[in-house]
Amino acid sequence: MTSGSEPSHALTSEAAAELRHELRTPVNHILGYAELLAEDVPPDSAAANALRTICVAAREVLTLIQAALPPSGLARADALRTLFTQLRAPQGRILSATSALLDGDPEAQFAMDVERIARAARQLLVVPVPADRTEPASAPARAPASAPTPGSTSAVTAHKGRVLVVDDVEENRTVLARRLTREGYAVDAAGGGEEALRKVASGGFDLVLLDVMMPDLDGFAVLDRIKSNEATRSLPVIMISALDDLAAVVRCIEHGAEDYLAKPFDQVLLRARIGASLEKKRWHDREVDYLRHVTRVIDAAAAVEKGTYAAGSLGAITARDDELGRLARVFDSMATGVRARESRLREQLEQLRTDITLATSEYAASPAAADAGTDALAPGALLAGRYEIRGVIGRGGMGVVYRAHDRELVEEVAIKTIRRDLLSGDPVLAEQLKSEIRLARRISHRNVVRTHDLGESDGIAFVTMEYVQGLTVRELLDTRGRLSVASALALARQFTEALSVAHAAGVIHRDVKPENALLDGEGVLKVMDFGIARFAAASSARTQSGLIVGTPAYMSPEQLVGEEVDARADLYALGVVLYECLTGHAPFEATSVVSLIAKVLSTEPVPVAARNADVPPAVSALVMRLLAKEPAGRPESAARLFELLAELG
Amino acid sequence: MIRILLVEDNEMNRDMLSRRLERRGYEIGIAVDGRQGVEMATVGGYDLVLMDMSLPEVDGWEATRQLRAAPATHSLPIIALTAHAMAGDRERALEAGANDYDTKPIDLARLLGKIETLLPPRP
Repeated sequence: MTSGSEPSHALTSEAAAELRHELRTPVNHILGYAELLAEDVPPDSAAANALRTICVAAREVLTLIQAALPPSGLARADALRTLFTQLRAPQGRILSATSALLDGDPEAQFAMDVERIARAARQLLVVPVPADRTEPASAPARAPASAPTPGSTSAVTAHKGRVLVVDDVEENRTVLARRLTREGYAVDAAGGGEEALRKVASGGFDLVLLDVMMPDLDGFAVLDRIKSNEATRSLPVIMISALDDLAAVVRCIEHGAEDYLAKPFDQVLLRARIGASLEKKRWHDREVDYLRHVTRVIDAAAAVEKGTYAAGSLGAITARDDELGRLARVFDSMATGVRARESRLREQLEQLRTDITLATSEYAASPAAADAGTDALAPGALLAGRYEIRGVIGRGGMGVVYRAHDRELVEEVAIKTIRRDLLSGDPVLAEQLKSEIRLARRISHRNVVRTHDLGESDGIAFVTMEYVQGLTVRELLDTRGRLSVASALALARQFTEALSVAHAAGVIHRDVKPENALLDGEGVLKVMDFGIARFAAASSARTQSGLIVGTPAYMSPEQLVGEEVDARADLYALGVVLYECLTGHAPFEATSVVSLIAKVLSTEPVPVAARNADVPPAVSALVMRLLAKEPAGRPESAARLFELLAELG
Repeated sequence: MIRILLVEDNEMNRDMLSRRLERRGYEIGIAVDGRQGVEMATVGGYDLVLMDMSLPEVDGWEATRQLRAAPATHSLPIIALTAHAMAGDRERALEAGANDYDTKPIDLARLLGKIETLLPPRP
């Protein structure tokens, strides 16, 4: 029972329904048994009269209950107190009548049924009013979310979802807020459309219960604004309205509402629909969260490409207990590994640059650099009306290499002139040379000196190439002796990349040697003369009857004996270059070409590690493998060698 | 004899209603909750079900839905009995598949009329 000191308390409709049920049940029993017994007694008997009195009183009780606790609308505590006062009179009449019925010493079954009527009548006034379910009618609707009533179930911190109740009628807000709070939801309320939109914009809600009829901005307008805003589109909205007609439902759904509820609310239905909407929202949120995490993994991949990936930056995603979490974990460990390797590579390259800087200054001071010799083209000469000769860079078997200025493209180029006898002596050979140059032109890689064009002017055949300011690996070795392991590996990796890309284009170098590899000031290695150098050798061999000229120190056994060579001959030559870089010596040293060839064909070189204790066994073993007599003993391709180098770290 | 299944958890309601219906010549089967009601109706032999809506285990709405969904009981007439405590009880009972409804307290004459309307015509 409510205390008399709080006349303004109102009962929530759920509590009212329960109370209504509690009160009606005994009345139903009274009526039922009275009518049942009335069938057993003569119509004009005293017992029949007593039973009629009971029925009339019971119906009066029902009318009183219906008035105080209408099925729809609010029950006020003061009305309830009046009800309990009003019930006393009919209850008294029922109890008096049952006494009269028992006076006549009736048979057992009849007495038992009358006793049931009396028991039910007494029960009428002991029905407990759920006092803890009353609340001040003037309580602000928003209170439950932030300040739950002590002792109410909303005191639990882990709520089932955050619901915004929007209704212009304060009582409706209060009732709904209380019901939802009791269900375990955190509730906030808004008294109008504008206030609702402000609250929705501030975020944090899982569901909106939106009244249709509101004075400032009606429910449809609010719904439209929520659904047209990207940020709030996924927020589920359940429309509530007294308009229980199909047109209203259709309109709500058309405007994007997730569901529709008609007033007065059915508690079970309300619970089910809110639960379903929130479950849908949770799935949506989970999906959005998943996609956001996928985007972060993709961003991380882009960061790895740009070199800005920080280890562990995938954070919480790596802790996910699903396939995305597994992907993020693998990705993070791989990217971190790649980064560590890159940092080692940078250190190696840094060391190579230091070597180059030192070698450049030493080389510039040596008298050999100044010796340009006698050349066909003097500085200042104009070749093909376009290339202004600046000076001689070097000389090789094919001819002289000049540095020139391309007036047309306004850039520095390297021009390699080709000895006239190479092109005129054998038309087949000349055609092959042109074909090789055409092939080489197709190779575009940072570690390959770019071949531009093949030209002829005033009887001078020439190839124009990318001009690289720097020094050759030969010059580096001549001035530095051997290189550190780090420098040698930085060089090996770039050399291998160049060979790999050329081999893939169908071009075998055939004359890999320190002289054909240029290093710029940044430590970038550029391999030159792809496919060209062998023509010098072939020509020499032809003109000097049987003598193998060129660079036999770097030639593989199969190349030395004139067998068909493949890409693995380049790998052998690279092995010789690396052997020299790491030890400061060629693997085979001889005083004549003949004894050199004999050694290359029949003796095993001293292992790299035996000549330089600083070289790790794995690095030594790999270089020795490149020097295998049989091509099959070497890595099968430059691409494979690149992998093996990567495994070295 | 017409057999009616009364599904009702309240002992006094069961007693009262079954006795009154038996006096009218019906044979009454009793189930005390929705689950038992569905089981008994499914076993068969009943011509009509009087289903209280507020039941333990499986409530009357759910039991009605289950009976409507099962081929064996698909066309069995069901009268929902509601306490008339909540607005919308009637709609919900009909929505769940009840053929008719009545509110407590039971007006026996009215209920008998509804029962007779729903029973198949007898020779």
